[in-house]
Amino acid sequence: MNNEKWNVTFIVTRKKGDEAPRTQSFTIDVDPDEYVLDGIERVWAFHDRSLVFRHACHHSTCGACGMRVNGVEKLTCITPIRSVTHDGGTLRVEPLRNFPIISDLVVDMGEMYARMDDARSPQVASVDQSNLGYEKDPEDGGDYERLVDCIECGCCVSACPIALTTPAYIGPVVLAGAHQALEETGAPELLDYVDQENGVWRCHSAYECTAVCPSNVDPAWRIMNLRGRVIGRRISKLFIRA
Amino acid sequence: MQNESTPVNFWRWFDPRNRSIGTWAFILNRITALGLTLYLFIHLIVLGKLAQGPQAYDDFVTLAHTPVVKFGEMLVIAGGLIHGLNGIRIAMTSFNIGTAYQKQIFAGLMVIAVIGMIIFGWKMFGA
Amino acid sequence: MIGIRSAPKSREGAWLWFFKIAAGVFIVILLAVHFIINHLVAPNGLLSYDDVLRYYQVPVVPVMEVIFLVFVVAHALVGLRSIVLDLNPSTIILRWLDRLFMLAGAGFIAYGIWLVVVIVQKGSGL
Repeated sequence: MNNEKWNVTFIVTRKKGDEAPRTQSFTIDVDPDEYVLDGIERVWAFHDRSLVFRHACHHSTCGACGMRVNGVEKLTCITPIRSVTHDGGTLRVEPLRNFPIISDLVVDMGEMYARMDDARSPQVASVDQSNLGYEKDPEDGGDYERLVDCIECGCCVSACPIALTTPAYIGPVVLAGAHQALEETGAPELLDYVDQENGVWRCHSAYECTAVCPSNVDPAWRIMNLRGRVIGRRISKLFIRA
Repeated sequence: MQNESTPVNFWRWFDPRNRSIGTWAFILNRITALGLTLYLFIHLIVLGKLAQGPQAYDDFVTLAHTPVVKFGEMLVIAGGLIHGLNGIRIAMTSFNIGTAYQKQIFAGLMVIAVIGMIIFGWKMFGA
Repeated sequence: MIGIRSAPKSREGAWLWFFKIAAGVFIVILLAVHFIINHLVAPNGLLSYDDVLRYYQVPVVPVMEVIFLVFVVAHALVGLRSIVLDLNPSTIILRWLDRLFMLAGAGFIAYGIWLVVVIVQKGSGL
């Protein structure tokens, strides 16, 4: 790693208590191959200990560090500074949209987690069920389990234009979780759960959720797939006793 | 709460900055929907002139040849093409057809829409 | 903010959504027909009163136009309702808006049918 040093101004959203959100600028020296989260940590460590933000694993597994960087939802632990600004430039860091702000860059995800429980969103799924097309199945052909792709970072909810104006919409992460649960268990009650006005029928095909997902969950495809399954089940219920 | 139906959030529906192509589809669909609904209302009322007899309708047709009205009609054609073709994309992906290529499908359909607008523009203002 | 989880009322919304999409597809086809026939096939592109009246004497024309109108009005109003839903209205407001939409829809369709009947009647005297 070379010792390149950039001088970058972080424009960070601050909000404490009931005050209106405002921005505060911090100009710091960074290594451009470090990540945005490293920069935020440096701001906290050396400039303002009152800055509040979430971070944990630092390698895109926990989903804690989701924020908006220059207006786009990203996992800040894997977003190199080099990719979002230049030497002498600025870097806007804001909390995720569509969640209540608790403090500065931390938002309240309680409702989202509660709904994921309702959707029985699993954390673990069988490998052959949840592997993406390009991932190889285990060579010995055995049954394995893995952590599901969704890391519950909330980026998809932040990007969704429906979630923007209505908290009632179940949301892409929850619908994706329900879909994952359905793939694992086949439980028809899950189809009932998503088959409501605030569920799968609310999506307006903006596909922003899939565009910003850092973990290949593809919520938009899952929502469309759920629609097909709901309709299929409703048609078959016309002919077969449930 | 940050996700309530405030005026700020309402206008954010139409703000494509920092968003990807899907948001353009969402915005265009919403704007053309509102425009076409307004046009529907106007169109139905104007057609009422047919019940008022030949003078009323033929006078309106003369008015319809003025540049302002023609431009308005161009907007309607544009809105109809954009909304209809994007609607086809929505219908397709909603039944899981082409979901993986929805961005390309949208781009392709919008190209068709632009071609359609050019053809109509030429027919209305050129020929 | 635990507690505002929407109580799921299963099967609500599916029919309206499906109708909107199906109507939309139907409209794309009918609109093409409507436009081509009215402005490219019909004599003089229906730009005079006499042409319109003569044209509406062909039986399939008023029937097609009324069907077209019903689907367009329904699609437009269900679509407007979707936009309103995204603004998270209260149950009471939504209930009144539903009534307003249904009234407006019925009104537009009734007006359209009346207009078509008038045109056909006037044309039969030609």
